[in-house]
Amino acid sequence: MNATDQTVLHHVVALLVSWELMAPAVTLGCIGVPALIGRPLPERLTTRLVGAGFTTGFLAALATLTMLAQRGFAPEIVHLGTMFSVGHHAATVDLVADGLSIPYVCFTTGLCALVNAFAGKYLHREPGFTRFFILLTLFGTGMNLMVLAGSIDVLFAGWEFIGISSTLLIGFFHERRNAVNAALRAFGTYRICDVGLLTAGVVVHRAVGSGDFEQLFSGVWPDGRCLVPATTALIVSLLLVFAALGKSAQVPFSGWLPRAMEGPTPSSAIFYGALSIHAGAYLLLRCEPLLDAAPLSRWLLVAIGIGTALHAAVVGSVQTDLKSMLAYASMTQAGIILAEIGMGLRVVALVHVISHAILRSLQILRSPSAMHDRHELAAALGGHPGQSRWSLIRLLPDAVVRGLYQVALERGFEESVVQRWIVRPVVAVLEAASAAERRWVGFIGAEPAADVPPRPDRDGGAS
Amino acid sequence: MNTLEVVTLAAVATCVAAPLAGALALRFLGQRLDPRIASAAAIGLSFAAAVTVAVCWQWGGGRTLTYGSRLAGGDLVIIDGLTALLLPYVATVDMAIVLVAPRRALATTGVWRLLVGASASLAMMSTAHPWALVSLWAATSLSTWLSIRGTLGGRATARTYAVAMVAALVCMAAGTGMLVADPPWLAGSGTLGTAGGWLVAVAVMIRKGIVPFHSWYPALFCGGPLATALVTTMPQVATYTAVRLLVGHADGVAAELVVLSQAALVTAVYGAALAAVQRDARSLLGMLAMSQSAMVMAGLAGTLPTELCGALAIWISSGLSLTGIGLVVWSLESRAGRIRIDTLQGRFADAPMLAAFFLLFGLASLGFPGTLSFVADDLIISGSLDERLPSGLLVIAATVFAGIAVMRGWFHLFGGPVTVDAPQHAILPRERFALTTLVAILFVLGLWPGPFVHALENVAASLLLVRAPHPSVTLPAGNPP
Repeated sequence: MNATDQTVLHHVVALLVSWELMAPAVTLGCIGVPALIGRPLPERLTTRLVGAGFTTGFLAALATLTMLAQRGFAPEIVHLGTMFSVGHHAATVDLVADGLSIPYVCFTTGLCALVNAFAGKYLHREPGFTRFFILLTLFGTGMNLMVLAGSIDVLFAGWEFIGISSTLLIGFFHERRNAVNAALRAFGTYRICDVGLLTAGVVVHRAVGSGDFEQLFSGVWPDGRCLVPATTALIVSLLLVFAALGKSAQVPFSGWLPRAMEGPTPSSAIFYGALSIHAGAYLLLRCEPLLDAAPLSRWLLVAIGIGTALHAAVVGSVQTDLKSMLAYASMTQAGIILAEIGMGLRVVALVHVISHAILRSLQILRSPSAMHDRHELAAALGGHPGQSRWSLIRLLPDAVVRGLYQVALERGFEESVVQRWIVRPVVAVLEAASAAERRWVGFIGAEPAADVPPRPDRDGGAS
Repeated sequence: MNTLEVVTLAAVATCVAAPLAGALALRFLGQRLDPRIASAAAIGLSFAAAVTVAVCWQWGGGRTLTYGSRLAGGDLVIIDGLTALLLPYVATVDMAIVLVAPRRALATTGVWRLLVGASASLAMMSTAHPWALVSLWAATSLSTWLSIRGTLGGRATARTYAVAMVAALVCMAAGTGMLVADPPWLAGSGTLGTAGGWLVAVAVMIRKGIVPFHSWYPALFCGGPLATALVTTMPQVATYTAVRLLVGHADGVAAELVVLSQAALVTAVYGAALAAVQRDARSLLGMLAMSQSAMVMAGLAGTLPTELCGALAIWISSGLSLTGIGLVVWSLESRAGRIRIDTLQGRFADAPMLAAFFLLFGLASLGFPGTLSFVADDLIISGSLDERLPSGLLVIAATVFAGIAVMRGWFHLFGGPVTVDAPQHAILPRERFALTTLVAILFVLGLWPGPFVHALENVAASLLLVRAPHPSVTLPAGNPP
């Protein structure tokens, strides 16, 4: 391929990648602005617009994948522009099209398009119909931004979009107390773990002077090479692992996931069965060369991943509702995927992510009609399918099984430990400080006995 | 004086005088005027004049214009980048308040006090004269105190506010007096000028609500009229005073400013953390405002344009977004009374558009991507990397706590079973217009920040050229005066 062809190819890839990012963003604007000014679009137009956005994004990603495949997936850096610059600091928007990002965008946009088609029917005449699709397109924009990011700054922006859309969809049925509490729990977990990503960004900027991944590692994915000293790689990778734990619901930050199923079924499928739950895995796959240079982080990741998988497998086995079972099943697989990343099995992890996401989202989408499916199966078989007689658990002594059962019922004591030793003490300290503030203000503003009583409201500002 | 300068000066005068004229008209012709139309016309004229000032300053090549004597090192009227930035900002906040204010709030004496406060704030943003600053501090404080005192149950808050403001004014007046008596720009000056600088710094800490002098700040939001609280706090007159009297980046950073910025960082984290456990919407707003305004002060101690730009961007973004949250809370209160957030209030069904606006303003105050605060946080964290890494980490901590506080507030306010037994309160057109405009400013500047950041860079550059006005400056090594 000569230089002219290279340039043409670069421009075509740049155009396609830009559209992959812009398609859901433009759709978001198209349905969000009318809703904000009190003129929401009709249901049919909304789903068609969203469908068109994701479908064209998917087709653009497919075309990019074909072009990249012809060139052996050599990475293409797309410079979208500089948002602003002050002194030596410039906020550039760089995207990367390579063997990791483009297959992932195909999978993301394709899945979003399918869920859009499902949700258009499922949420018909639901009061929050437009709200759901606004959040779905916000999520799609965030996913594509995160996946295509060429720098940790752009990745963080996408990461935040995913977090807020996930939170708002968990609390979609805002009139339900459980939904609101679950949304707050998820947001709190995300926010705490986001400290890892933000601080990693700060460390990266300080170490190499920019947030570009090019400065951190080089080479064609999955054979990247770390370009920073081992100490920097260790610090950054530990912070990234911390950030990934929250989004991927790993121990000790897994308590939010089963509760997140309070949201509408289509969003549960795409977020907690498919895409959001794997955002942490994507982050670590993208920055895998840093993990290569930091064995401590890798082994920590393996330990956490396997620990979470075991925890979720045990706890999931005693769940009594389908969505909770599926949530724990997702958690188990997410744990195994992180362990695979820790062991350096990059391609295996990517294939695992995609296959698990497709299977799990299908299961969650079918979950409202699970009984119907089971009856159909029973009718076809001429009786109940029954339960497998072979189970690993039967090989364990009864005392161990009873102990495991107790642990599983208490959800591994994970939440009670976190609540008792972390959340409650912090809240107690803050509430004590707040009460002290109120007492102090009361003391300063205390009215001497001789003072006249307050006059009626003449200002109207305070009621 | 050329035509452009004449126009600029006339615009500044109009900007300050219009709200004052509106206040006088409402005071003496109150029965014959519609309070909303009169106040909106006055603030609208002021806003147009403020925009004119900004445009003229830009056309004039960003040159600083000064008028009046250089008594005590300050100019009676100053029109530089900071003034050109802050006048439209303050007028926008005032305009939004006047448009959203419930009819009951405008039909009473509160409106003229509000306009007097707005006029005093605008006047302050266009002067660098120490005694003018002291006088305007007194004017804004008095106007606020009268408003709080006139509110039902507001006497305790008025007393708290009075204690803080008297202390601040005494420190400010004494500090200014010392600075004037021992002019630091003269050779041989020393101790008195230094002491004056420190007293001004203490005054700024009190007036800004910086720990440990912060208690009046959330109390004002809880016990005072919300409009008064917003008009008093959002312009950040104390920050402006610090810029005019303490900032002297050309020679290094004043020791007072370093202490101020460190205390401000602690305040930013403390306020955001306490905001996460507040029990009513107003105290949440007060704590958030305290935290965000402290962040501005923290950034002003930087000596790089990046950090200064970040501080200025936070000044604007936090002011507009917190004004938006305050106005949403006020609109909700005008429909159903004071709002607690320790339990789920279920207001979504009652006011879905207000819920949407609260969320958008909340996100815009949190450094959410696509909003001006994201740009501001990026600048302030990037700026602090080169000089003060722990500051950047504290900013991150404050952002995390503020995020949890805002989302908890939103979910508790709007989530949960419907508790208000009333038909849906549709958002009023004037409320929608004001809130949509504020949201549009925050998101447009966040999505297309280039020109705005460039303008901020000019302002930051002009601040970096300011000579130190007093001698307690920490000189950089190898850079003798």
